[in-house]
Order: sequence, then C-alpha cells, then structure tokens
Amino acid sequence: MWGQQVVFWLLAIAMGAAAIGVVRSRDVVHSVLFLVVVLAGAAAQYILLAAEFVAWVQVLIYIGAVVVLFLFGVMLTRSPMGHDSNRLDNDQRWAAGVVALLIFGVLTALLVDAFGGQQINFGPELVAQGSPQAIGSDLFRTFIVPFEVVSMLLLAALVGAVVMARKD
Amino acid sequence: MNPVIDYHALAPEIVLSVTIILCLLVDLFIPDRPRLVPQLASLGVLAAIIPVLTLAVSGTDVSMFGGAFVVDNYALAFDGLFLVVAYITLLVSFDEIADGDYYGGEYYVLLLTSVLGMVMMASSRDLVSIFIALETISIPTFVLAGWRKHDTKSNEAAIKYFLIGVLSSAVMLYGMSLIFGFANGTKLSVISEYSAGSPPALFAVAIFLTIVGFAFKVSAVPFHFWAPDTYEGAPLPVTAFLSVASKAAGFVALLTIIRFGFFNSSDSWQPLIWVLAAASMTFGNLAALRQTNIVRMLAYSSIAQGGFILVPLAVAGDVSGPSAWEAVLVYLMIYAAMNLGAFAVVMAVSRRTHSTEISSFAGLGRVDSVNAVMLSLFMFSLAGIPPLAGWFAKFVIFRAVFDAGTTAAVVLGVIAALNAVVAFFYYSNVVRRMWFDEAPEVVSSPRPASVALTLAIGITVVVVVVVGVYPEVFARLGQLAFASG
Repeated sequence: MWGQQVVFWLLAIAMGAAAIGVVRSRDVVHSVLFLVVVLAGAAAQYILLAAEFVAWVQVLIYIGAVVVLFLFGVMLTRSPMGHDSNRLDNDQRWAAGVVALLIFGVLTALLVDAFGGQQINFGPELVAQGSPQAIGSDLFRTFIVPFEVVSMLLLAALVGAVVMARKD
Repeated sequence: MNPVIDYHALAPEIVLSVTIILCLLVDLFIPDRPRLVPQLASLGVLAAIIPVLTLAVSGTDVSMFGGAFVVDNYALAFDGLFLVVAYITLLVSFDEIADGDYYGGEYYVLLLTSVLGMVMMASSRDLVSIFIALETISIPTFVLAGWRKHDTKSNEAAIKYFLIGVLSSAVMLYGMSLIFGFANGTKLSVISEYSAGSPPALFAVAIFLTIVGFAFKVSAVPFHFWAPDTYEGAPLPVTAFLSVASKAAGFVALLTIIRFGFFNSSDSWQPLIWVLAAASMTFGNLAALRQTNIVRMLAYSSIAQGGFILVPLAVAGDVSGPSAWEAVLVYLMIYAAMNLGAFAVVMAVSRRTHSTEISSFAGLGRVDSVNAVMLSLFMFSLAGIPPLAGWFAKFVIFRAVFDAGTTAAVVLGVIAALNAVVAFFYYSNVVRRMWFDEAPEVVSSPRPASVALTLAIGITVVVVVVVGVYPEVFARLGQLAFASG
C-alpha cells in the first residue's frame, strides 16, 4: 500500500501544480500544455485505481482529441498567441482565488468526514470491474438507450458546428 | 443475457430519431423544396404522439434495464406535453425561419434532437440517463440561440447560454459523481434506498450541487442571470422553446430526481428549493415590473413563473398524497399553453411592427383587435385571473401548500400570494397600453401572419379558455399520471 500512497501523492502534487499553471499562464498555448499534464495525471490515477480501460480512454479522448482540438482552435482562429498579459487576466482573480480555496477547504473537510479511514480492497473483483469487458457489457446492456441517444446528440452537435462555422 | 427491449415503449424515441435523420437527408438531397423539411418535422412529431397514446391506452407500465428506463403514466404525461409543445414550436417557427434567410433544414434537425432528449428525460430513472437527456436537450439549443449569426445580440445570447450551460453541467456532474460514490449505483431506486439510512454531511452537499445544476437550467434566482439576455437575443421561436419546453424539461428532471431519488433526505433539498422558489418569484416579478421590452418582460415573468412551479416541490416532503407532484405537472401544462400563446402573438404582432418594445403594442386594440384580444387573454391568464387557465395553475399550487400545512409552507404560500398581486401590475400594464393608448405611426411594411402561426395561437387560446372553464380536464390528467405512485 505504501507504494501506491507515494505515487498518488506525487501525481496529486504534479496535477495541482499544473492546474495552477493552467490558470496562471499568460499564453494560451502554455495553458493547454499544462492541461495535458493535469489530464495525464488523471489517467495515471485511474490506473492506480485499477481502472485501466478508463485510463486509456482518458488518454485517447482528452489528450488525443480534446487537447489537439484546443490547439487547432487556437491556431485556426484569431486568438491571442504569445505573451499578452492583459487578455488572459482580469480583476476578479483574487475573488476567484478566495472562492476556490473556500470550496477546496469545505470539500476536503467533508470528504475526510465521509470517507476518511476507508480502505479500497484491491482484489480480483475490483480489477474485473474496470476491465473493458465489464464496461462494454454495462454500456450495451444497462445503458443502451443513453448510448444510442448520445449518437444522435453527436450528430446534432456536428450539424450545429457546421452551421456555426460555415461562411455565408 | 441480453437486455429485454420493448420497442413499443421506445417507439416515441425511435420515431423522433428516424424523423431527424430523414430531415437531414431530405435537406441534403432535395434542396429546392424548402417547405418539405418543416412539414416532415411536424409530421414526425405528430407521429411520435401516436405511440404515446397507444401506450397510455394499453395502461401497463414498462420497466427496462433494471428500472433505469420506465414508461408509466408519469412518463407518458410528460412525453405528451413535450411533443405538443414541440409541435406548437414548429408551427410558430415556419415563418420566422423561412423569412430570415436562416438555415432551414438544420434548424429543424437541432430542434427535434432537443425534443428527443426531452422525451427520453420523462422516462429516465437513472443519473446517467438523466444527464445524457439533459445534455441532448441543451446542446442543440446552444446553437439555436445563436441562429442569427450576423446579429451580435444573438451571438451574445448563444455564448452566455453556452458558458452557463456548461458550468451548470459541470457542477451537477460533480454532485452526481459524489452521489454515485455514496450509493454505489446510478439508479434512482438505489439512491433512494441509500438515503433512507443516515448519510454523512457530504451527501447533502452532493444533493445541493446536483440541484444547483438544475437550478441553472430552470433559471431559478440566483442562477438566472443568463436568461433575460439569452431570451432577448435568440430568435423568437427559439426563445419560446427555451422558456417553455427546455424549462419544463429541467423541472421534469428535478421532479424525477427528487421524487424517486432524494425523497428520503428532504432535510437537504427542501430548504434549498424553498429559497430558490421565494427568490425566483420575488426577484423575477420585481425585475419584470421595470421592463420596456415585452420579450425581456416575458423572460423575467418566466423566471417568476418558474418560482411558482418550485413552490410545490419545496413543500413536497410534507405532503402525504400526490398533490404536490400533480401541481407541478398541471402548472407546467397550463404555463406551456399560455406562455407559448403569448410568444406566438408577440411574433404575429412584431411581423407588422418589427419591434418587441412594449410601446409598439400601444393602441393595438384599434389596429389589430384580434391579436389584441388574444394577447389580453394570455396576459390575464399568466396573471392568474379566472376564468382563464392561469387561475387553476395558481390554485393547485396553493392546494399543495395547504396540504403540507407546515409553517415554512404557509410562509412560502404568503410570498406566492403577494407575488401574484405584483405580477398582475405588469401583465395588466401591457393590456392597458393595447386598449387605452394611442397607436404610434407604423412606417414599416407588414408581413402577414401565416396559417401556421394563427393555428398555434388558436390551439393555445383554446387550451387556456377550456381549461380555465373546465379545469377537471387537466386535474384528471394529473391524477392519472400519479395514480400508482
């Protein structure tokens, strides 16, 4: 268990630092790159929790697709690139910081109150729960209706994106 | 072990999906017949009502996927409401979309996808399904709100709605993930069982976050600030759809999740909804008093009406019978008719005056007396004056409050009653200006209202008058929907 604890804290500290980097960075592209660190850290946390499939989905979709989409978005639109200290900042940063710390404090206290002292039992059952087989079976048995509706939603999102992007 | 799928129970969803794909294909391959897609879309919605009726007649409840997807009277009542509202929205859209050099085909595809989400919402009894349904409702409407691409107000409407929508989804998902962590399942029945024990304080926070997410969707104060700008900037048919259908879907989600999931921990959600209801009614009405644009006025009025719909939910834990749930359904049905009607008349009038300022309605009684009579009826109904349907909506709310009978419920009832009086002022102000003020000079070229728009006004006015005189129609429907529960 000690090994897992150490890896968890290393990852958590790296993720926290990178998350601060995302909002502190003066350059959109740097923010996106910091975001990659956060997302990769989340994927590593999933592996620690024996949820391999979700971890690789996280890597493929968030790092592979979403971040690349961000970068294309920055590249293809007239977003401010390079150091421009005024555009990515505003007067509410201190208020935002206070709110963030407050939420962090409250949630930490309550999470410790609710789950503190509980241990995850990493047996073969838990590992089987995170396998592609178990997830696929859930997806196509229990959640088949939401699954199909998501495909209609993606179709609509595609149509909407084309309408918004089309020149006329 | 394959899941048992009852295709009859899924038929409304299937018919809508097929219609969406047909609309896309027709728009692609037959581009020179622009009226075909809207006709196909409205036929599809009407066709989806047929299985709802046959399922209601057959009278057996269908429960699929271990109770995650249920088709019972409750679901069918809301399915019917959503589909009828969708049909009326289509009727009021035809002119506006055809005249405004918008993309016609895509508009109907997005609108129907949103309706598909609503129909799914009514049957969902599981956090994953509810979330997916809510996103399917919201995401197409983000694009629809910005449909006037060259109008900066429409762009602002879409961006504000999108950012708030995404933020509220994130807050809600965080709450839902905590609930899943506690209950070890996403089905509402599992959550209900869990909450019957003694959950820790964090569970109350999870409920709080989930309900805050829904509060954004139904634009309850203090999570309402996007609504007036979005309603004003979006094309009018989209505004009507957002303020009626999309809002009703948010309330259905809230109703479902409270009734089937959180009911046992009423200490956590009752005070929150009490505050939301009182704030929405009071703030919505006070802000509506000051508006000079009728669309903004209707936006604030819909925030206030949303507050009224929250009242029975805020007391639901103390009501023994189903009267609180019935009140939500009945209020939503009546609200849908009168608000859609009001928007339809505003659209018909603004085709002539090219303005939605309240001053442009001055003297309407002499220029266009039919529309003036209609708008007066809808305004008085929204104010809750008998014998129009609005009074019965208010009546069911107060009945639920009396059934609860606690001090908190009575205080909320008094706040609601005071607000009903305040609301009367701004609704009647519109009526006064239409009948007693001089008409301004109209220089613009009038565009006559089409048959579809007139039909929409006709359907809604019939509902408002008939239900006002014979409220048993909706009251019976409400009882049927909650008979087993």
